[in-house]
Order: sequence, then structure tokens, then C-alpha cells
Amino acid sequence: MSALEICQWINGTNLATSIRESDWVYPIIETVHVLGIALLAGTVAIVDLRLLGIVLKRERVSRIARQVLPLTWAGFVAMFASGGLLFLAQASKSYVNPAFRIKMLLLVLVAVNPLIFHSTIYRSVGAWDDRTAAPGRARLTAVLSLILWSGIIIAGRAIAYF
Amino acid sequence: MSLLPLFQWASQAPIFAVMRDSKWAFAVVEMLHLIALASFGGTLLVIDLGVLGIGLRSQPVSNVARDLSRVFLGSLVLAVVSGAFLVSANPMKYYYHPAFRVKMLLLFLAVTFNFTLHRKLVESPIGAALTVSTKLSAVVSLALWFSVGVAGRSIGFL
Repeated sequence: MSALEICQWINGTNLATSIRESDWVYPIIETVHVLGIALLAGTVAIVDLRLLGIVLKRERVSRIARQVLPLTWAGFVAMFASGGLLFLAQASKSYVNPAFRIKMLLLVLVAVNPLIFHSTIYRSVGAWDDRTAAPGRARLTAVLSLILWSGIIIAGRAIAYF
Repeated sequence: MSLLPLFQWASQAPIFAVMRDSKWAFAVVEMLHLIALASFGGTLLVIDLGVLGIGLRSQPVSNVARDLSRVFLGSLVLAVVSGAFLVSANPMKYYYHPAFRVKMLLLFLAVTFNFTLHRKLVESPIGAALTVSTKLSAVVSLALWFSVGVAGRSIGFL
């Protein structure tokens, strides 16, 4: 089975059809997905801006990161669940949509970014926790994260235009 | 006083011609509107949930609120300006749109509440952060802004 055939099969399931054809379920899922941006990308942005020394300069990086993380995870769960359902309902269309493909690629990159960050420069956070701006490599990760998340929002919105 | 003349003027105004005529101008401004939503909503959640003891709770909320106020204000301004340009693409459609009207009313309430009562309570230096009135204020603030978001998303569905 090719990926396209899998998407076509998903598209034809009862669950996908009932979401797609409902008057209220689809708009509600989309509303959750849009408002979830604030919880996911918004809280990530605050940690990124702290690393760059733009906000919350007097607070330790590790404390901000640790305390904001549960909100970010909550946002991730809301976004992943609602996004998954939106995809189910439009699987065949999404598969061939260039904006959707770019969004998926950016999502992979945005997941790799914190993995690298946490397994490298963040290990030594004790040494730079108090500094206004984090070391260069940490600032680079923060800039990449802001660019990738903006790209994801832009690509996500663009799905509707293709 | 009616705002109708303002919307009628915007429907004709040469500066909004590009918004009326180009599909991509609308799309690009819409993307900016969403990015503004992300950073506005992120700061709002971190401040108001912090008051309620969720997220940033070991820092004095007044410090967090003052430190984030530039991002809060900047993204609110970006959201309002980009929103105005979105409206300018078809002002008369929005003027009569029920979800748009509800959104503007809620936005007015949310902004007024924020800059009169809420901000004073949250930014007051004496860790007033955790009094009942501050917590209540945070709940009202979250509820108002959430309603603005829901009403905004509904514009596309109604």
C-alpha cells in the first residue's frame, strides 16, 4: 500500500466521514487547533525569548523552562489530537497539498531542534543559568525555534489556500 | 453614533485596494494575525495561569507581568492592526457579520478589563498575586480572551 492509498483509506473511514460532514464537530476541532497555537507555540516562544535575553531576564533559564514545560505539553496534546482528527477528515486532500507537506517537514525539524538543544548545550545550563542572554549556541536554537514555529503557523494557514 | 460611515469609507479607500483585490495579501495578513495570536496568547496564558498557580508560580507574578508587558502589548497591537487590514478586504461583509460584531464587543470588554482592573491587580508589587480578587480577575481575563478567540474563529464558519 502506498502512502496515498493509506490516506485514501483513512479518508473513507466512518470516523473521517462523520467529522468531515458534521456541522459542528469540524469547526469545534478547528477552533481547538487554532487556539492551541497560543498554548504550544506561544509558550515555546516565551522560553526562546528568555534564552535571547529579551524577556524575564532576571529569572533563571532553567526555572522558566521547567515551569513553562507542562503548559507546552498540554498545548502539544491539544494540537496533536485536534490536528490528527483534522487530518483524518481530509486525509486525501492533505496528502497532495504542498502547504501540508511543508508543514509536516517543518514539524519534524521543530521536534529535532529541542532534542539537540537538550542533549548538548542545555546540559551545561548550570553555568549560564543566571546570564541575561544564553550562550551563542543556545541563542541559535532559540532563533531557529522561533523561525520554525512561525513557518509552521504560516504553512498551516496556507493549507486552506491550496 | 454609527460606525457605518467608517466601514463604507474603508470599502472605497485606495489604501486598502490591495487587500480587496489580492487573494495573497489577505492570506499573508491572516498569517501575521495568527502569529500575533500565538505570542499574545502565550504571554496572556503565562501571566494569568501564573496567577492561578499553574506554570510560572515560583516567580512573583507582578515581575512576570511587567517583564512580559512589552510582548503582550506589541502582539496585541500587531493583532489589532493586522485584523483591521483583514476587515478592510471586505468591510461591509464584516459590518453585518454576527460573529464579527460579537468579537468586537468581546474585544472591547477584554481590552477595557485588562487595562483598567486586571493589569493593576496583577502588576501591583505587593505579591497581591495570590489574593482572591486577583485570581478572580485572572479567570475573567482568560474567559474574555478565550471568547474573543472563539468568536474570531467563528467568523470563518458563519
